[in-house]
Amino acid sequence: MSGDVVLRAEDIHKSYGKLQVLKGVTFEIRKGETKVIAGPSGAGKSTLLRCLNLLTMPDKGRVWLEDIELTDPKVDINKMRQKIGFVFQEFNLFHHLTALENVMIGLTKVKKMPKEEALRSAKEALLTVHITEDLWHKYPAQLSGGQKQRVAIARALAMDPVIILYDEPTSALDPQLVGEVLQVMKELARKGVTGLVVTHEIGFALEVADEIMFMYDGKILEKGPPKEVVFNPKHEVTKKFFEKIGRLYGERR
Amino acid sequence: MNINIEALLPYFPYIIEGALWTFALVGGGLGLGFIIGLPIAIGQVYGGRIIKTILDVYVWFFRGVPLLVLLFLFYWGVFPAMGFKLSALVTSMIVLGLRSGAYQSQIFRGAIQSVEEGQMLAARSIGMTKTQAIIHIVLPQALRIAIPGWTNEYAILLKDSAICFALGVMEILTRTRYVAISTGIYFIPYLFAGILFIILTYGGTKIFNIIYEKVQIPGLVKGGM
Repeated sequence: MSGDVVLRAEDIHKSYGKLQVLKGVTFEIRKGETKVIAGPSGAGKSTLLRCLNLLTMPDKGRVWLEDIELTDPKVDINKMRQKIGFVFQEFNLFHHLTALENVMIGLTKVKKMPKEEALRSAKEALLTVHITEDLWHKYPAQLSGGQKQRVAIARALAMDPVIILYDEPTSALDPQLVGEVLQVMKELARKGVTGLVVTHEIGFALEVADEIMFMYDGKILEKGPPKEVVFNPKHEVTKKFFEKIGRLYGERR
Repeated sequence: MNINIEALLPYFPYIIEGALWTFALVGGGLGLGFIIGLPIAIGQVYGGRIIKTILDVYVWFFRGVPLLVLLFLFYWGVFPAMGFKLSALVTSMIVLGLRSGAYQSQIFRGAIQSVEEGQMLAARSIGMTKTQAIIHIVLPQALRIAIPGWTNEYAILLKDSAICFALGVMEILTRTRYVAISTGIYFIPYLFAGILFIILTYGGTKIFNIIYEKVQIPGLVKGGM
């Protein structure tokens, strides 16, 4: 065990009406780690991710970011969300702002950074995700899917987060654009940016993840080193799932 | 038809001058309607149950009562009862505004609701409060979407403003009526007033359309935000 725990979830439950989506999920992630959450659709992966920054309020259970409990009603969640990057499947870039403005707005409006400083940080974040100057003043509708998602990653990154949560970041992309986004995510992982990634990209998991958590029916069914979980799982459902995913996605890197 | 146009000539500038009053009515009505309508829309989309119910009653009332009834109600009833002694022009502007606010709120509500849910989620995810997200992310997009509906509201309000002749506001119709009665010629003055309204309707609409084009977000398909 090395490094400090930056995010800890304890016994997270969430139901929508009678449908129990999360049935008690507990895990933690340490500074610099990259963890992948995999599992069939409906297993509760996205709901879990949204429960971690309280975009969805868990019914039961607690979440800590570093040593602060987010689920404590006294905590200013807006302040805490600044420290949790979130990358959406559908990018959700702000349509009316340019790429640069998308990255800047959190810095100026939320962090109240002076404009010059915000501009510098935003440009730096964009360059980190390989969005070059010629794209800075384009609007989201003028960018490709891969470019949009990289701007979205830059928007999260610029806030200088403790962790970035990725919710199926490549699922809405055309196949030929997946690589550029995964590449950026790998680079960030190698730089030590802590990440929790919901994805079906097994190649990504095998290459950079410290751990895969396999979710099934609202719980973490098993977890461990990626190679272990993918090639030598304990449970039959896990095995079936990765066989199927392997056929669908291959192990592209 | 034997109409002495020459006898009418001096009266045309008098009627045209009424356009200033008409503009005051429309400008006041649209402006006040915006100030009332936008917060109502925000309340209707994001507010709690009680707020929504109160706002629904407001909208329901001002959309349900005929304009002429509202004008009389406020001019002879509500304002005097409240101790205000307001001129016919000011009363008309306020009534048009209160009513337009109800209609505009529905335009803005639709526009706000057509901004994808993901925009709000993304704004909250970088730490914006709900209010910040509404101001910086949702409204700039919603207001753009609302422009065509708002242009329509201008055209409707412009034509509705003629009803204010009932309170004697010196707008286009009131003046036209005076001219018609005092000269005994009806056809030409009323035709002239009609044409004047058409010019104002299409001229104004044109201007709003230009603004709409100007503020379009590059690359986005119109209306498909």
